[in-house]
Amino acid sequence: MTKTSFKRGVVAGLTTGMMMGGAALAQDCTTKIGAVLPTSVDWGKPIAATAQYAVDLANEAGGVAGCKVEMVLRDSQVDPKVGVDAAKALVDLDGVQMLLGAVSSGVSMPILTSVTVPAGVMQMSCCSSSTAFTGLSQEGKTKGLFYRTFATSGVQAAVGAMVARDQGYKSVAILYKNDDWGQDIGKLVAKDLEALGISVTGSVAINDAQPSYRAEVTEALKGNPEALYMAIYPKEGTSVVREWLSLGGTQNMIVANALKSDEFRDNVGLQYLGNTIGTDTASPRSESASAFVSQYTAKFGSEPNGPGLSNSYDATMIGLLAMEAAGTGATGTEIAAKVSAVTDPNGTPITADAAGFSKAKEVLAGGGTVFYQGATGNVRFDDNGDVSAPAVMWSFTETGTEETQYISLEEVDAFMASVK
Amino acid sequence: MIGLLSYLVFFATVAAILSIAVLGLNLQWGNTGLFNGGVVAFFGAGGYGTLILGGTPQADHLGGFALPYLIALSGGMAIAGLLAWGVGILTLRLRHDYLAIATFGVAVAFENLMRNAEGLAGGAKGLRGFERPLRQALGDGFTYNLLFLIFVLGLLIATYIFLERLIRSPYGRLLRAIREDETAAMSLGKNPARIRLAAFIAGSVIMGLAGGLYATFYAFISPQDVLPILTFQIWAMLIVGGAGNNKGAVMGTFLIWGAWTASGWGLSRFAPLEVQLYTGSLQFILIGVVIVGMLLWRPQGLFEEKLVVSQSGRAKHLKQQGVRE
Amino acid sequence: MIQNLVDGVLVGSILSLGAIGLTMAMHMLRFANFSHAELLSIGAYSALVFDGLFEVIYPALGSAIGPLSLTWALSLAIILSMVITGASAVLIDRLIFRRVRAKGGELSMVFASFGVAMIIRNILGLIFGLGSQLYSKDIVFAMAISRDPLLLIKPDQVFSLVAALIIMIILHLILSRTTFGYALRAVAENPTLAQVSGINLSRMILLIWIIGGGLAAAAGVFYGLSNQINPVLGRDLVLPIFAATIVGGIGSVYGAVLGGFLVGIASNLALVVLPSGYSPSVPFLIILAVLMVRPTGLFGEERL
Repeated sequence: MTKTSFKRGVVAGLTTGMMMGGAALAQDCTTKIGAVLPTSVDWGKPIAATAQYAVDLANEAGGVAGCKVEMVLRDSQVDPKVGVDAAKALVDLDGVQMLLGAVSSGVSMPILTSVTVPAGVMQMSCCSSSTAFTGLSQEGKTKGLFYRTFATSGVQAAVGAMVARDQGYKSVAILYKNDDWGQDIGKLVAKDLEALGISVTGSVAINDAQPSYRAEVTEALKGNPEALYMAIYPKEGTSVVREWLSLGGTQNMIVANALKSDEFRDNVGLQYLGNTIGTDTASPRSESASAFVSQYTAKFGSEPNGPGLSNSYDATMIGLLAMEAAGTGATGTEIAAKVSAVTDPNGTPITADAAGFSKAKEVLAGGGTVFYQGATGNVRFDDNGDVSAPAVMWSFTETGTEETQYISLEEVDAFMASVK
Repeated sequence: MIGLLSYLVFFATVAAILSIAVLGLNLQWGNTGLFNGGVVAFFGAGGYGTLILGGTPQADHLGGFALPYLIALSGGMAIAGLLAWGVGILTLRLRHDYLAIATFGVAVAFENLMRNAEGLAGGAKGLRGFERPLRQALGDGFTYNLLFLIFVLGLLIATYIFLERLIRSPYGRLLRAIREDETAAMSLGKNPARIRLAAFIAGSVIMGLAGGLYATFYAFISPQDVLPILTFQIWAMLIVGGAGNNKGAVMGTFLIWGAWTASGWGLSRFAPLEVQLYTGSLQFILIGVVIVGMLLWRPQGLFEEKLVVSQSGRAKHLKQQGVRE
Repeated sequence: MIQNLVDGVLVGSILSLGAIGLTMAMHMLRFANFSHAELLSIGAYSALVFDGLFEVIYPALGSAIGPLSLTWALSLAIILSMVITGASAVLIDRLIFRRVRAKGGELSMVFASFGVAMIIRNILGLIFGLGSQLYSKDIVFAMAISRDPLLLIKPDQVFSLVAALIIMIILHLILSRTTFGYALRAVAENPTLAQVSGINLSRMILLIWIIGGGLAAAAGVFYGLSNQINPVLGRDLVLPIFAATIVGGIGSVYGAVLGGFLVGIASNLALVVLPSGYSPSVPFLIILAVLMVRPTGLFGEERL
């Protein structure tokens, strides 16, 4: 965050505060929240920047529960030991009651089991996708303290298969990131495709940090597939797709939301991405979603495209709203209990920006509940803190991406049931 | 205040667990001259072994034998030892750099296996479903962490005393003799290959103990815990502390782990808002500077190896004589 | 299968270039230099900077050479980047390695090099950002050499291979025909004796860093040409380069060349044998196999 926009934020915050009368006094106190995110990794830094942005917006709207919010950011280095230590320091030394993070499930999980649950701190992960969290929650071991805004992979896998069916592809090769998210979605998509009678010519794991993906691409090319499905990250995706195209692979590509990235689009070249269809969880059918996109674009100079950005934004916003709802000095357990009050389908719908935040404060102050309309959709958590959401198909454009089709939650569910 | 104490207990637990692994490495490198580049494989074998043996049954992969904790932990150590036995037979005749890269390869293959073999160890999503011992009785708050720290410290001290005794024993002298001059040791009728293998297995079992404690503490382990960075961290702790010196090994661990974590804490606290997003890269630079700086300042490590060989025995002998006279 | 073999050779040439410098430094200075691969990053990034600079000064240089994505500007930039990287290698040695060498043992050097690698990688990340960059955004399509069996080759990679081979031949001539080459071998075999016969050891070390850095820069640019440039490029390449060095035998330049090709081929053939998830282990399994047969690598000599 630049100094000027920080100043602007403070000024705006003060102005809003003065308009709200007594709230101006509240700006004197500061509530800390913690964030453990991999800021030393290419895709991790934007996730942290987005979380910080959401905090800035909340401060613009006068802060949370009467206090200005300060996000203390620690790098997880994608190393569980380091991430857990950082989380412990945030909880014990900074006294945070709400912790954002981590990205990798392998870091989020030990933080949950050894730091946040024992200390009764709420943990909100943007991007951890492992099914292990659902299992842990079902066993009652998360004590309701864990939430994540990363929709379960089943939806995206199903929509990916749906794209292949709609496009009439007869054979598809799958490339998946060799981590818990990739392994999961790769298996699901293969199952869905086969259920639709589409042959899977190959399913190739893409390991991180390999100097060349030539062999993997050659392997995927072998079955001469009509289309390529990819659940990988931008850095590897760029290497893979450039190799794929230069070796004469098809331009019919289906990509999961991790490749909804400007870096990927620019480095591959839009001219080759005309037949690429992406999948993602959906933004709500409201003006607030486009407002969020334009607001974000104004701030960062590009659309919120990249793995986990919208999820990170929603995770932060929902966490802050829950803190607002829980009031001053609330404990992690109290905050976590209020998540349902800010994602209540029967509540007042609020937008994902500073104005929406201000409105939410009014409603919550009056004892009402709100329905947060997030960047990833009308976020709704189930008993295990998991999210299910409607989906979209999108394609790349000059400036970013555009939505080509909206698939409601009911449609997704019906489709998923049909391929079972 | 209580927060600080709680954090320090936590920090000390992780540092003590890592110290045990560094002591295991010190037996291999510091005392026997075996360049083990795959520390993380043995650490991981202990961790995975403990959780598989001691965890609750899981639907989709092996394990969940729910054995009593101490048996599970010993089982993890045994698995680490078994792995070391196999690796040792294959690789111990290699020297220095060659041995390092071969064992490094073993560690990469180990991580790969854990990441891909879902039926064995849960694959990339890791291994959970482990109930920390006595959690029901103690809860999982500060008291638990404090008692666990005492348990870990007890094991650290036991390992330390065991190794100190070993080094001072004739067997320890033999290890150093093999490190310094293998031919000479052979001329005395010793079998260096067998003794090196024994030291390699013993060191690996100690690493397995550290891994088992580590997995117990987090009640979770995943392939991310067994990446090569851990091998590097453990080595850096030993080299900065002083190879060959057990006290140095422990001090080096606390120092390096302290620098590793404190740099992140310091940056999050004192770095101006504009650079907060860059602190990840800055922290790595700081850690690099600390390591390079330490090696520039004291390349032999904080604590030099005390060459006890046989002089200390003679000194004692003379002193005893002196007393008698 | 043939495709995998050919790909392996093409990737291998880059590893060979990196391994030559590493094996020379490892032999002469007796330490495993983990920061060597960061020299590839330095090379790749300095070429990126000069490439941009030249194109701004003389836009005509921005045109691609023949079927390659390589431009005239970049070819000039490669040469400058080799000089810069060689100089950086010398600078790093002066600042850090020489001082550690004076006081500490081989292991201190290894860990100092680890620290240096961390510092370089993250400084590059701070300057150029953590994202990936490319010399040219155009995708040059592979040419089909044969249809059955299908064999596709990218012009850029052929260029890299040829250029790498030329560089290696020049190096071979230097090592086998010049006094410098003899001196180098003498030092490698017995530093003390070499000094007695009047060879200036510190000058030899200087030359080794310059050669190693220069070759690394070329490798870095060739890598960037067919892949992408990012701050973790060195980290991704360090293990295959080490593997190549060890397989070839520490100290053997020809071993390093062969080792590079072997590791390249092995990683490309890996998927034929093993599931794709296991590909990172394959180079190491090859090493293990080679070391079982020859404990000091293919061309390495026993050193006490």
